[in-house]
Amino acid sequence: MSDYVLQAEDVAIHYGGVKAVDGVALTLTQGQIRGLIGPNGAGKSTVIDAITGRRRLTRGKVMLRGEDVSALGVVERRQRGLSRSFQRTSIFGEMAVRQQVELAAWKMGVSEPGADADDVLQELELASMAHTIANDLGYGEQRRLDLALALVGRPSVLLLDEPMAGLSVQESLDLAQHLKALTTRRQVSVLLVEHDMDVVFGISDVVTVFELGRVIASGTPAEVRSDPRVREAYLGSAA
Amino acid sequence: MSIQRVAGSAAVALVVGAGVFAWVSSGTLLSLLTQAIIYAVFALGVGVLLRQNGMVSFGHALFFGCAGYAVGLLLQAQWSAELAMLATLAGMAVVAFVMGLVIVRVPGVAFGMLTLAIGQMFFLTASRSRGLTGGADGMNIDWPSTLFGVSQSVLLKPANLFLLCWCTLVGVMVLLGLLLNSRFGRITEAVRDNEERARFIGIRTLLPRAAVYALSAVITGLAGLLSALNTGFVSPENLHWSLSGVALMMVVVGGYKALWGPALGAVVYFMAKDFLGDYATHWMAIFGVALITVIVFSPTGLAGLLERVVKGKAAVRVHKAHGH
Repeated sequence: MSDYVLQAEDVAIHYGGVKAVDGVALTLTQGQIRGLIGPNGAGKSTVIDAITGRRRLTRGKVMLRGEDVSALGVVERRQRGLSRSFQRTSIFGEMAVRQQVELAAWKMGVSEPGADADDVLQELELASMAHTIANDLGYGEQRRLDLALALVGRPSVLLLDEPMAGLSVQESLDLAQHLKALTTRRQVSVLLVEHDMDVVFGISDVVTVFELGRVIASGTPAEVRSDPRVREAYLGSAA
Repeated sequence: MSIQRVAGSAAVALVVGAGVFAWVSSGTLLSLLTQAIIYAVFALGVGVLLRQNGMVSFGHALFFGCAGYAVGLLLQAQWSAELAMLATLAGMAVVAFVMGLVIVRVPGVAFGMLTLAIGQMFFLTASRSRGLTGGADGMNIDWPSTLFGVSQSVLLKPANLFLLCWCTLVGVMVLLGLLLNSRFGRITEAVRDNEERARFIGIRTLLPRAAVYALSAVITGLAGLLSALNTGFVSPENLHWSLSGVALMMVVVGGYKALWGPALGAVVYFMAKDFLGDYATHWMAIFGVALITVIVFSPTGLAGLLERVVKGKAAVRVHKAHGH
């Protein structure tokens, strides 16, 4: 069995003649954070959609802990430990915070869903808002709730689509710290799509750079930062 | 809502029903109240679909009318009344669930139009199947002399029939309160709020939505059975879209977010019909203005308005208590 928790091989998503993603290969080892960066429209979110089963693969396969999950639906992949957050906050607006996190834990078959929910809420500093209706939360709190819904049930892989979008600098830094701590504590592997370069380079173990649906560079943050192709295509000469 | 609160509310409601049973002697008023309660059950059925699935049906009279026709036809086929009623509700649950598996996939307005089309299809079928349903003239329902061990003459007394309908309404609300407070209720709320996120926390979203559709159909069918018992008659009018529209108006006026909102809307509708009908031929025009007022100024309906008033008063009491 391979050491990879997640392995995407030759993943392609084509819409007619448009190749949104073409021949992408990605891996995640246990507890690893892989940052995924690239300009808008590079295909980063599409890769997350492909891995989680939201979009059908044109070509390639997705392996989760050595099992080919390419033919499985969203629910089956989630039950096997593949979880995600969304670019736009995706929560249950009219439910209380704890109620929805506990429901998510229960659906994941956690033996004590209430305890797991409390644990996650505590870790994300949402415990004091446990009985607040989600729509009444502030934006930053809603983003953390979105993360809590993805994190509960002890998934093995977490795919985060711009979790810092719309947050203030301080909120982004706080969330990044939470994320790093949670990853270590819960031994979850993370694929992080994010435009905030300070966050990506600050917490990622490896970084992959996308352009026009293809990987143009991959390596440690330092290697990627110094890659001339990346500087030209995305980071700019000042990076 | 906790189990204690559901039980407490049910006990209060049963006492109120018993009070009406004991103190109201006017047959006309009891008859009006019975009709209002039957429509309250109907509105609950429409309301639960809106509350748990976020879906508006313009064709729920389909289940209201079909329940009457089904029990009437089964009685003609010499089934026992009790079995006929149970078979009607069970059959309705199965048919509605299968229908739900197909039609709840259709989003928004298209779903409403689909329910309208299906309802009208049955309306026309019932209107034209003279040999089976009596066509436009309708069909008398031959209830047996005893039902659940109670003689028809006793059961159909206005006060007794009112009490039966009231207890049915309370029973349905208690069961709904418990069901919607369970995991099933949470799942359906999650699916209603955000179907995509629901799938990404591992919920298969089609089955719960179809189950809610079936649940709402069974509640509406129960109202149809009570109506068939009350009038001993069913006609294509019981299937007509305008009846679905009336039930929807009750839900909007009463408010669907509170479980009891649709029932309140039904009672208000019948009271308005009786009161305004004495003064104006086109009383619906006045009710229409009331409907617009509610939609504009209290989108959560009268139930939402009452809840806000009660919560506001409670907040003022707390504030005063702290002030002193």
